[in-house]
Amino acid sequence: MTDALHEARRRAEDLKAAVRRFHDDKMPEDLKSKSARHQVLDKSDYVRWMRLLNDQGWAIGHWPKAYGGQEWSLLERFAFEDQLARLGCPWVIPFGVKYVGPVIYAFGTDAQKARFLPRIATTEDFWAQGYSEPGAGSDLAALRTEAVRVHAAEGDHYVVNGQKVWTTYAQWADWMFCLVKTAREAQAQKSISFLLIDMKSPGVTVKPIPTMDGYHHVNEVWLENVRVPVENLVGGEGEGWTSAKFLLKNERTAGAIVGMAWHALARVKALAAANPGSSPERTATRIGELELRFLALEEASYRAVEAMVQGTDHGAEASMIKLRGTELYQDIAETAIDTLGLAGVAFDIAALHAAAAPPLGPVDAGGIVKDHLYNRAATIFGGASEIQRNIVAKGVLGL
Amino acid sequence: MNMDLETARILGDSVRRYADERYGFLQRHEVLEAAAGYGEQAWRDYAALGWLALRLPEADGGLDADPLAVGALMEVVGSRLLMEPILASAIVGTGLLRSQGSAAQQAAMLPALAGGSLKFAFADAESPGGRCEVRDGRLRGEKIGVLHGDVADRLIVSAADGDTGGVERLYLVAPDSPGVETTRFRFVDARGAANFGFSGARAEPLDATDRGPAEAAIADVVEQATVAQCAEALGIVRVLVTTTCEYLKIRKQFGRAIGTNQALQHRAVDMFLLQEEIAALTAAAQRALMQPAGTRGRVVSGAKAYICNAARRVANEAVQMHGGLGITEELDVSHYFRRLMVNAALFGSRDEHFSRFLAAAPLVTESHS
Repeated sequence: MTDALHEARRRAEDLKAAVRRFHDDKMPEDLKSKSARHQVLDKSDYVRWMRLLNDQGWAIGHWPKAYGGQEWSLLERFAFEDQLARLGCPWVIPFGVKYVGPVIYAFGTDAQKARFLPRIATTEDFWAQGYSEPGAGSDLAALRTEAVRVHAAEGDHYVVNGQKVWTTYAQWADWMFCLVKTAREAQAQKSISFLLIDMKSPGVTVKPIPTMDGYHHVNEVWLENVRVPVENLVGGEGEGWTSAKFLLKNERTAGAIVGMAWHALARVKALAAANPGSSPERTATRIGELELRFLALEEASYRAVEAMVQGTDHGAEASMIKLRGTELYQDIAETAIDTLGLAGVAFDIAALHAAAAPPLGPVDAGGIVKDHLYNRAATIFGGASEIQRNIVAKGVLGL
Repeated sequence: MNMDLETARILGDSVRRYADERYGFLQRHEVLEAAAGYGEQAWRDYAALGWLALRLPEADGGLDADPLAVGALMEVVGSRLLMEPILASAIVGTGLLRSQGSAAQQAAMLPALAGGSLKFAFADAESPGGRCEVRDGRLRGEKIGVLHGDVADRLIVSAADGDTGGVERLYLVAPDSPGVETTRFRFVDARGAANFGFSGARAEPLDATDRGPAEAAIADVVEQATVAQCAEALGIVRVLVTTTCEYLKIRKQFGRAIGTNQALQHRAVDMFLLQEEIAALTAAAQRALMQPAGTRGRVVSGAKAYICNAARRVANEAVQMHGGLGITEELDVSHYFRRLMVNAALFGSRDEHFSRFLAAAPLVTESHS
C-alpha cells in the first residue's frame, strides 16, 4: 500500500467519525426526524441542511484549498457521502457544490470564480442542471438548445432558445448551468458550450413534471429568447463538451448510493423482524441475499475508489458502482414494499408533507413507498444503466 | 366442465367497446381527480350494460359468469385501468352473499347489486391487535386496507361469532351506522380504500341455513378474486409489452431507434415471454377454478405467485425502457406499474401464495421422472 493511500484511508475514517458526531450532536431534531421518515423536504430545509454542512467545511470539502475547500481525496469524499447516507441524512444537493462549482474553478475566469464560488459554497444561490432535452437524454450530444451570439452596444450576449427537461428543483433555482449549441455546422461535440443562466431572466419558464410518487422533483425548462451575457460562458465557445464530461464524472462517482443501500437494508431487516410474513425463513433468505450483494457492492466500491486514488483505475469504476448500487437499492426497496404488505401500497402524499402518520404501518411507511416509486428512476437519471454498461463495454472490455 | 367461450367473448367485446368510447385516458383522468375516486357515471353504465350482474344466477337475470367470462372482463379492467369496484363488489361481495346469504338476504340485495345502487366491500384483513368479534349482534375490532371501503354502501366483515364460541362468520355492516369509525385513504394506484374501527356497530350475520363454514366461503371467493387479478395482470402486461415495443421503435438516440440495439431487443423478448407465461397461467388458473375446492389451490396460488413477480419484472422494464417518461404521472406506464403494485398486496401476498403452492401436492416428483 502506498503512503498516499494509507493517509487517505486514515483521513476517511476520521471524517466518518466526525460525521457521526455531527449527526449525534449538531443535527437539528426536526431535520433528523423528517429525514428518518423519508418525508418531503422543502427548499428551506435543504438550504438549511447545505449551510449546516458548509459550517463544518463539508459542503465543499472536495474543493481545492484556494477556493475554501479541504482538498479531500476521492476516498474521503466517497466515505463522506456514504456515511451521511448510512445515517439517513438528507440528500446533499449536488448541483452547486458538486457539479457546477468544480466546473467553474477548473474552467472559469477569475471573475466567474469570484462571483459564483462563494455563493455556491453557502447555497446563497440554488443551482439547477440544464443538460437533458426531450430528444437528448442518453445521447446528450444531440441537444438542440441554441445560443446565438449577438453584438450590442451594451455588451455582447447570447440569445438562447430551446427546452430542457428532467431539471431537478428548477422551481427553486436561482441559476441553471446549461449545455447549449453555439455552432450549427460543427461536429456535435465541438458545437456545445457551457452557459450559466440566471433563472430570473425574461423568457425562462419552469413547468413541473409530476412523477408517480406524487411529488414535484423535476421540471421542463423552456428558454425563449433568453438573453445571457457573454461573461456567463464558462470555458471557450465550443468547449462545453469538456466541461460536460468533467461534470458527468463527478456526477457518477457517488458514495451516497452505498450508504443509501445500507440504510435501506437495515430498515428492511427491522421491518421483517416485525412482520416476517408466511415464511420467516424465506424472508430471512431473501434479505440475506441482499445483504450479501451489499457486501460485494461495498467492497467493490471502495476497492474501485482506492484504485482511482492510486491512479490504477480502468476508468469505468464510477459506472460499475452506479450500476450495482442503484440496482441493489431498487431491489431492497421492493423487498421493503413486500414486507410492509398492505402498508406498502397505501399512500397519502399529503400526510408525508404534513408529517402526519400514514394510513397504515409504521411512521415511515409512506416515505418508504415514495422512495420506492421515485427510485425507479435511479437507473435512468445520471446516465441510464444501459449507458453505464456501454461505458464499461467500450472503455474497459474494448467491445 | 366446459367453459362458456361465447359469454366470455361477448362480455370482453362489450367492455372493450365501452372503454374505447367512454374510458379513454382523459376520461380516466377525470375519474382520478374526482372526489369519489371512481366514475359514478361509469358505474351506472356498467349496471345498465349488465356487467354488475355477472356473478348473479341466471334465474335472477344474471350472467352466472364462469371464470373465463370473469377473466374476459377483468382483462379489460386491467388494460384500461378501470377504477370502479367491479372486483370488490360485483365479484367478491356478490360471491360472498351468494354463498353465505339467506334466500331473503339474497332476494333483498342481489337486484341492488346488479343495479349498481348497492356496492359491497369485503373487510377481512386485520392489524395484529384488531381481532373482530360479534356478541349480541354488536361488532368490535378493526379492519384495515379495505379495497373500496371508502365508497362501499355495505361492508361484509369477517369476524368471530362470540355467541357460538368464536366460530368465523360473515356479517353485514352499514359503514355509516353508529359505532363505525372510517379512515379513508387511497392506495398508491389511486383506488380508494379505508380502515375501519368498530365499537359496538350493529352487525347482521349472513345466515343461509345450508351455508358451509365461512372460512371455506372466504377461501373460495379469495381464489376467485386471485384468478380475476391474474386476468387483470394479463391485461396490464399486454399493454406494457405493446407500448414498450412501440416506444423502442420510435425513440431515437445516437441517430437510430433505440430498439435497433440488440440488448434492448432481447429484453423486449423476455417481456413478451413473461406475457405469454402469464396468459398461460391465467388460463390454467381459470380451469383450476372449475375443479373442486382443495384441488385447485396449487395452480391458483402458483399462478398468483408466478404472475406477481413476472408482471413486476415487465413493469420495471417498461419503466426503464421509457426512460424518465416512465415514472411520470402523464404517461400511463406509471399507472400500470402502480396498479400491479397494489394488486400484489391484495387477496394474499405473493409470499402467502407461494407458501400455499409449496404446501400443495407437488406435480414434479421422482416417481414421475
